[in-house]
Amino acid sequence: MNKTSWADEVDEPQAVPERQVIANADGTKTVIEHRLNDDGKLVKQTRRMRDKVVQEHVNRAVASRKKWAKFGAEAGSPAGPQLSTTTVGEVVWLKLSQYAAQQKQAEQEAAEQEKTIKLKNTRILCRICRQDHFTAKCPYKDTLVPLEEITGAAGAGAAPAADDASAAPAAEAKSSYVPPHLRAGGRGASSSLDALGERRDDLPKIRITNLSEYTQEEDIKQLCRPFGPVSRAFLATDRETRLCKGYAFVTFYDYDAAERAIAKLHGYGFDHLILNVEWAGPRQ
Amino acid sequence: MRPILLQGHDRALTQVRYNTDGDLLMTVGKDKVANLWYAHNGERIGTYEGHLGAVWTIDCNKPTTLVVTGSADNTARLWHAETGRQLHMWEFPTAVKRVEFSRDDRHVLMVTEERMGHKSGIYVFAIDSSSPVQSSEPVAVIRPSPSKATVAAWSYLDKYIVAGHEDGSLALYDWKYEELVQRADAHERPVTDLQMWKDGSYFITSSRDKTARLFETSTLNPLKMYKADTELNSAAMTPTQDLVVLGGGQAASEVTTTSTRQGRFESRFYHKIFEDEVGRVKGHFGPINTLAVQPDGKGYASGGEDGYVRVHHFDPDYFKFKYDY
Repeated sequence: MNKTSWADEVDEPQAVPERQVIANADGTKTVIEHRLNDDGKLVKQTRRMRDKVVQEHVNRAVASRKKWAKFGAEAGSPAGPQLSTTTVGEVVWLKLSQYAAQQKQAEQEAAEQEKTIKLKNTRILCRICRQDHFTAKCPYKDTLVPLEEITGAAGAGAAPAADDASAAPAAEAKSSYVPPHLRAGGRGASSSLDALGERRDDLPKIRITNLSEYTQEEDIKQLCRPFGPVSRAFLATDRETRLCKGYAFVTFYDYDAAERAIAKLHGYGFDHLILNVEWAGPRQ
Repeated sequence: MRPILLQGHDRALTQVRYNTDGDLLMTVGKDKVANLWYAHNGERIGTYEGHLGAVWTIDCNKPTTLVVTGSADNTARLWHAETGRQLHMWEFPTAVKRVEFSRDDRHVLMVTEERMGHKSGIYVFAIDSSSPVQSSEPVAVIRPSPSKATVAAWSYLDKYIVAGHEDGSLALYDWKYEELVQRADAHERPVTDLQMWKDGSYFITSSRDKTARLFETSTLNPLKMYKADTELNSAAMTPTQDLVVLGGGQAASEVTTTSTRQGRFESRFYHKIFEDEVGRVKGHFGPINTLAVQPDGKGYASGGEDGYVRVHHFDPDYFKFKYDY
């Protein structure tokens, strides 16, 4: 047939030459294979290889069982593992070590150390000697009095010497701005609040979780008041929807009252949900 | 090592067991099927289908020609291993919790559950591997008391049957005379697994009291104790290294309340003699219900409440491990 156009020539399927095996003089053999790659181009692959017979001894029974035909749900499946039932998992490590228990402890310690290093970046200042370590770990802990106390005492001693208590710091800070809580006058006003804030942390605080989203702060107060005077009840609400986020914190004045509340309210059914009440521990 | 994950069960695994040559792995679960796999590559050969309830236990004879399964449908069934054909069915008043072929393959023991007024029992049936017909009449029936038996195994030379009970005790029965030889308090809570050393001279038990213990068969003397931090469902011994593998985790009913990290779903390796923990293998995201070590010691398989069987082949490092003392 005469080819009329070059385009026809391209469409003509290319014949793939047969696989060729040539035995070489040195015992190896050369295998020449042709195949079409993804672009439809013919690829020639020449490999030289040597056959090596490896004898392996297998239990006769095991070998015969390798030829078992599949049955049951697997009847008719091709040989080899099926993807539907058999997959290869992620690598897991079994590190056998005599000191596995000790190692675990070491790991924990390392994690703790990492934590302290992180804290170090946030700058630690000892209250006693002004070095960068925790006050509790200060080497002069037992021998020295905290610096603040000394300076505080000095300040108190110096105050009567000045005309009045407010004049001295005001004179010092004449040129620069002093935030209100540092001002002598402001200190008095904010100190009561500060004290309250400190005290608030000391008060017994409980956490109520698994609240329904329609809970109101008043509900929480009503729920807790029977157990004793409530200092503060805080209900976490969504900023936009104003719905309850499911938990609340209640601070009592009395430790016993809080304990009673936990005992009574934990597992109490409220608004179709069962409440979970516990001590509000420090944040993890 | 890279474990092979076998997904042949829709529900929790109840037992995994290797055959004597270690080339096949049998698994049963609560989803009514028993699966047979090649241990080296995890290829499923077939399924034994016919049970109407959860299958609790499986075993095969030494040449792997017969497979026996025990199920919650109150039957135990005998299967032709190669074709999956059912050969025989034994019926019981209650579920069958544990089956095991004797060392000479001529008998099979079956432990039945205590339920609805029926006492728990250890039945022994004769197996004639040359004939297609099996006897439905038990050769011996042992009635454990006061507590029901949960697990049982054949001792050396098939002389005794060792049973673990729900009250944590162990008992040695002379099965031919159906009588109790010895009883010993072993655990504080139910015995969950009992696996014999290959010669039957000692065995390991696991229990919900968070310990696994090693006992001498002839006297039931306690030899070793391995303390874990969680309830144990299974314990196995490795033949080439002096190690034991323990598996467990929080009880299935409480699992949803904790994350996998807290659940302690790892298999733990302890030194058999020094009782120290030497390593752990993670992987399951439910408690491990059953463990089996390949008879040649080159790997082990674990079956979990999560429905997965994980087949592990040990790395070369494992065989180099030596305990310094």
